[in-house]
Amino acid sequence: MTWPGGTSPGWTSEATGPGVLKYLLRRLIFGLPTLVGISIVIFVVMRVLPGDPLVAMFGAEGFQRLNPGDRARIMSDLGLSDPLPVQYVHWMKDIASGSFGRSFFRGDRVSELVLHRGPLSAEIGLLSVLISWLVGLPVGITSAVRPNSLADNVVRSVSVLFLAIPGFWLGMLIVLASLFWFHYKAPLVVVQLWEDPWTNFQLAIGPATVLGLGQGAYIARMTRSCLLEVIGEDYVRTARAKGVAERLVVVRHALPNALLPVITVSGILMGFVLGGSVAVEQAFGVPGLGTALVTAIVERDIVVVQNLVLLYGVIFMLVNVLVDLSYAVLDPRIHHE
Amino acid sequence: MAEPSASPSDSETVDRRAFLKRLAVAAGGVVIESLPGRSRPRAGAAEEAFRLRALEPDPKRGGTLRYGVASSPAHFDIHQSGTVANIGAQGPMYDNLIRRDPRDGQTIIPDLAHRWDIAPDGKGYTFHLRSGVKFHDGADFTAEDVKATFSRIIWPPTGIVIPRSPLFSAVSEIRALGPHKIEFRLKEPRPRGFMLSAFASGWNVIVRKKTLEENDYNLRQTPNYPGTGPFRHVSRKKDEVWLMERNPHYWNTPLPYLDRLAVYNFAPFSPELGAALLGGKLDYARIVDTATLRRAQEQPGMTGATYYQSVVDAVWVNTRHKPFGDPRVRRALHLALDRHALIDVVKEAAPYLLGGFVYPFSEWATPRNEMIQRLGYQLDPKPAVEEARRLMAAAGYAAGLRNVDFVVREGTSWKLWAVAIQAMLKEALDIETKLRTVQISAFFEETQGGNFDLSIGAIVSTLIDPSDYFNAWYGKDGPQNYSKWHDPAFQRLVAQIDRELDDRRRRALVRQGETILEQDPPFLPVAWEQLSDAWYTYVKGQQPRHIFGIYDVARWDVAWLDK
Repeated sequence: MTWPGGTSPGWTSEATGPGVLKYLLRRLIFGLPTLVGISIVIFVVMRVLPGDPLVAMFGAEGFQRLNPGDRARIMSDLGLSDPLPVQYVHWMKDIASGSFGRSFFRGDRVSELVLHRGPLSAEIGLLSVLISWLVGLPVGITSAVRPNSLADNVVRSVSVLFLAIPGFWLGMLIVLASLFWFHYKAPLVVVQLWEDPWTNFQLAIGPATVLGLGQGAYIARMTRSCLLEVIGEDYVRTARAKGVAERLVVVRHALPNALLPVITVSGILMGFVLGGSVAVEQAFGVPGLGTALVTAIVERDIVVVQNLVLLYGVIFMLVNVLVDLSYAVLDPRIHHE
Repeated sequence: MAEPSASPSDSETVDRRAFLKRLAVAAGGVVIESLPGRSRPRAGAAEEAFRLRALEPDPKRGGTLRYGVASSPAHFDIHQSGTVANIGAQGPMYDNLIRRDPRDGQTIIPDLAHRWDIAPDGKGYTFHLRSGVKFHDGADFTAEDVKATFSRIIWPPTGIVIPRSPLFSAVSEIRALGPHKIEFRLKEPRPRGFMLSAFASGWNVIVRKKTLEENDYNLRQTPNYPGTGPFRHVSRKKDEVWLMERNPHYWNTPLPYLDRLAVYNFAPFSPELGAALLGGKLDYARIVDTATLRRAQEQPGMTGATYYQSVVDAVWVNTRHKPFGDPRVRRALHLALDRHALIDVVKEAAPYLLGGFVYPFSEWATPRNEMIQRLGYQLDPKPAVEEARRLMAAAGYAAGLRNVDFVVREGTSWKLWAVAIQAMLKEALDIETKLRTVQISAFFEETQGGNFDLSIGAIVSTLIDPSDYFNAWYGKDGPQNYSKWHDPAFQRLVAQIDRELDDRRRRALVRQGETILEQDPPFLPVAWEQLSDAWYTYVKGQQPRHIFGIYDVARWDVAWLDK
C-alpha cells in the first residue's frame, strides 16, 4: 500500500516489538484500578439498592412466611450477613478461582452462565460492529463525495432516524413484522455456532442488525465529516493533480487518514453495543448475557449482576486497548512506546 | 365422580353460574368418594376401578408437546415454592395423594391413593395407596414416602418455608398403617371439603423419603429428584427449556399419551410468549396477553380460553399510619374506587373480574346481581363517593390528605391502576398521593416492613375455601395482611368458619365476615384475576376453562396431539 508522502505503512519495530508489549502491559496495569473501581461501585450499588433476593428465592408467599431466624440463617448461607469487606474479598476469591461464584438461585455457577450465553452475546456484538461498518462506511463515503446532493440529504436523514430510534423498539417492530408478515419466529433456545450455524445465525442476526444499524448511523456521520475534512487536504489535491482516478483518491489516499477517528468512535460504540444488547436481546427474546443480566437485576441476584457488570467493564476496557493499538496500524506516525 | 362434558365452543369462557354448578357437582363427587361406612370393593379391584383417561374418544399416542410457561424457578423445591415457575415445569414429573381431575379442574379424584376413608368424628383421614407404583429411579412407592412428604409440609424443619403448612394446622399425627395405608389424625375436625382440597392441592406432590433424607430435607438446589409422575426428566437448559419423556412405567396406563414434553421458559403475559406461539414455535402457551388470546381465537386452527385465577389485586392501607387506622377513612377510600372503570382501564392487558373480599366466582360469594347494588360496586359511582365524602368529614378529613405515599408494584396492570386510583382519590376525596413504583424484589420488603401508606399489588391463595385466605389475608398474623389490620370480632368469626362442618351454617358465617370486611376494609379490593391460555386446536385433553388457579392442574397426563 502506498501512503501519502511516500511513507511505508505497517508496523514499525516499535509497533510490533517490545514497545508495543510494554505499552500493552502498561495499559493493562493502568486498567486494573479502573476495574477495581467498577467492582467496588457495582458491589456497593447492589447492596445499597432496595430489594430483597429472598423474594425471588421463596416467591411472594414463601417470603411472607419467613420468620426472622430463618431469614437470618438463609442470608448467612448466601454470604450476605458478612461484613461488606469480607463479602468483597470472597467475591475476589471467586473471580480468582474462575468460578465467579454461584447464583443465589439454584446454585448455578456464574462461569457456566457466561460460557453458555457469552458466545452468543459476543457473536451479536461482533456481527453488529461488522454490520455497522458495512452500512456506515459506504453511506458515509457516498455522502462525503457528493456533499449536499439528494443522496447526501437522504442518507443524513436516514442516519438521524436510526440514531433516534431506540434499539429495543426497533427490535420489537422487527419481531412483530417477521411474525405477522412471514409467520417467522427466531429459535427459542441458545444454539451455539459450532452446534448448528444456521440456527445460531437466526438467533444472532436480529439483535446484531438493530445494534449495527444504530451504530452504522454514527459511523456514517463520522466517516462523512472526517472524509470531507481530509478531502480538502493538500496531498489529496496533489493526488488528483497527478491524475489518480477519483475512486482511488478517496479509497487509497483520503479514507485511511479519515478512518482514525471513525475507529475511535467504533471503540466507544462498543460500549453502546454492550449496554444496548441488554435491551435488544430482551426485545428479541434472545437468551444471551444481556437477557441474563436483566433477569438477575429483577431477581436481585447480586452475584450474577456484579460479575456480569464487571465482565462488561473488562470487555470495554480491552476493546479500548485494541482500538489504541489499531492506531499504529492505520497511522505510521503513531508509535506505542 | 363427575364427568364433565365437552365444551360447545373452544373459545367459550366459563361463566360464574357454570363454574358454581360444576363446583357443586365436584363437591358431590368428593362426598360420595368419602362417605364413611360406604361399602367398598376389594383393594385390588378398587385400584383397577379408577384409571384416568383422556376426555376425548380414541386419543392418539406419541409426539412432543411444546409448552410455553414461566419455568425458570429460583429453586427446585416444589413444596417450598409459590410460583408457576416450579409447578409449571416440574408438575408433570410428580403425583399427589389425591388430585383435581384435569378434565374439569374441580372434582377430587384418586391419585396415588386409590381410595380414602374419613372417620365418623371427622378426625381421621385414612388413605389407601396404590401398590406397585415406582419412582423414576426404580424405588417402590410406600406409605413412608407419603409420611415423610407430609411431615415436612406440615411441620417444616428449621430453614424450610412451606406456604401450605397452615392448611394442615389441625393435623396432629401421621401414621403409616402398613406399606400402602396411611392415616392423618386431626386435633379437631375440619370441613371435609377443605381438608380434601388441601390434600389435593397441586403443590403437595409426593417425593421419596430417601430423597428428603439425602438432601437434609431441603430440595431447593436438587434439580431432578425422582417422582412417580407421568413424565421423567431428560435435560434442562437453564432459563430456556426443560425436556421430559414419557414414564414408561407409569401406573396409570395408558397415560401419558405424549412421548415428550418440552417446557419452554417465558414470562407470563410477555410478547415473547405470544410471538413464540403465533410463530409456530409452541403448541400451547400459558398466561398469554389479551392481544395474543384475541389473535389465537380469530386464527383458524388456534383457540384460547380464559379461566379463574386464585389471585386478588388490591390496595393495602397501612393501618399503623395515621389516619388509616380509622375504619371510616379506609371505608371512604374503598368507596371512592370506581371498580368498573378500573377493570376497563386494564382490559387490553388482562381480563379481570369485579369482586369484594370473597372469591367472586365461589359458592361463598355474594351473587353479582346483589353485589352491583352495593355501595362501592355500583355502575354509577356517585352514591358511593357521596358516602365516602361523608365518612371522611366524620373522621375529620373533609379537606382531604396530602403526601400520601403510594407504593406501586412494577407491572402493567398495577401501574395503570395506580394512576387511575390516584386520580379517583384526588377527584372524590381530595387525597393527594405520591406514586412510588418498585420492583417485586423491593415491593414485599416495603409492604412487609410497613414502609407505605397505600400499596398496590396482588396476593394469591392455595384454596378457594375462605378458611385458607381469610386467615392468610385478613387474619391478625396473616402473612399477607400487609395492612396489619385486626378486628377481634372477625378473628373470632374466622375461628368459627374454620371449625363449622355444616356447609349452610358455614356459608352464613362467611357472609357475616364479608359484612365486617366491607365496613372495616383490611384492603381495597381492586379486581380479581383471570388468566388466559392459547393453543393450537390439535392439542387435546387440556381443559383450562373450569379450573381455579393454575397450580392444581399442571401434569399434562391426559393431553394428546391430534396430528
